[in-house]
Amino acid sequence: MSVPYLREAAAEDDLGKLVRFVRLHLGDGNEAVGKEEIDRSWAEAVKILLRDAEVDREFIARVLEANESTLALLFFHLHFYFIRRSGRWIHDGSR
Amino acid sequence: MTAADKNTLSAADPREAGTQLRPGLWQTINERYPGSMIRKESFVPQARLGKPLAACRLTLVSSCGVHLKTEQPLDVCHPFGDFRFMRVPSGAKHDELIIHQLKYPHDDADLDINVIFPIERLQELCEEGRLRRLAPNFFSFIGYNMDPEKFERTVAASIAEAVVQEERADCALLAPA
Repeated sequence: MSVPYLREAAAEDDLGKLVRFVRLHLGDGNEAVGKEEIDRSWAEAVKILLRDAEVDREFIARVLEANESTLALLFFHLHFYFIRRSGRWIHDGSR
Repeated sequence: MTAADKNTLSAADPREAGTQLRPGLWQTINERYPGSMIRKESFVPQARLGKPLAACRLTLVSSCGVHLKTEQPLDVCHPFGDFRFMRVPSGAKHDELIIHQLKYPHDDADLDINVIFPIERLQELCEEGRLRRLAPNFFSFIGYNMDPEKFERTVAASIAEAVVQEERADCALLAPA
């Protein structure tokens, strides 16, 4: 999918097309796998929080002051971070 | 059906006119990732090499995403791709280089970078006198990209300008990943 295609979908608030893109991207071209990858990264975050370890809330507050584009990209970075942490890696490239 | 859908369903792409090794590939990719492939009605003809390779200064341009280990990698997590490129010193060796990519397997290239980015082979061709010299830098970027028009305007144009203006190369070897 191209950025112009996604811009058109965003302008029409076409959630189906936008979500499909995210799933295809995170699932390396497989929508069902992408959905599972999203679920898995969230589950990994929950598993980590279940350890009840100390968290740096000031750090989070500072990060959330960044501009929205930075936060949106960070969202994708965090997804891949948690997927790596889960031990499952479906992607062909860097592990 | 959106304008983007209509655009991707056209079978009039000149690249489908029998010149592709895998006819239909363009259409298949566009069905799966609508509008992801660049579409042009006119193509810039390749320039003819005006002198023998032994008299040429050559650079290498690759979409493999290789870079010096000492440098920060390009952003492989961005859903639309990273519209930057890296310069790789042409004298670099396998051990100094690393690939960061999500979308293609590079296990073999990790063992020998030359299978995808033939930097040491070009160094040897230079030593043997088959090439006059290598440009000081080669170029690398991430092939995954969701905005081909922006890519052409930014990465491709900047590399093309650098190849001519900074590297003073007579020719460029293009190596897709």
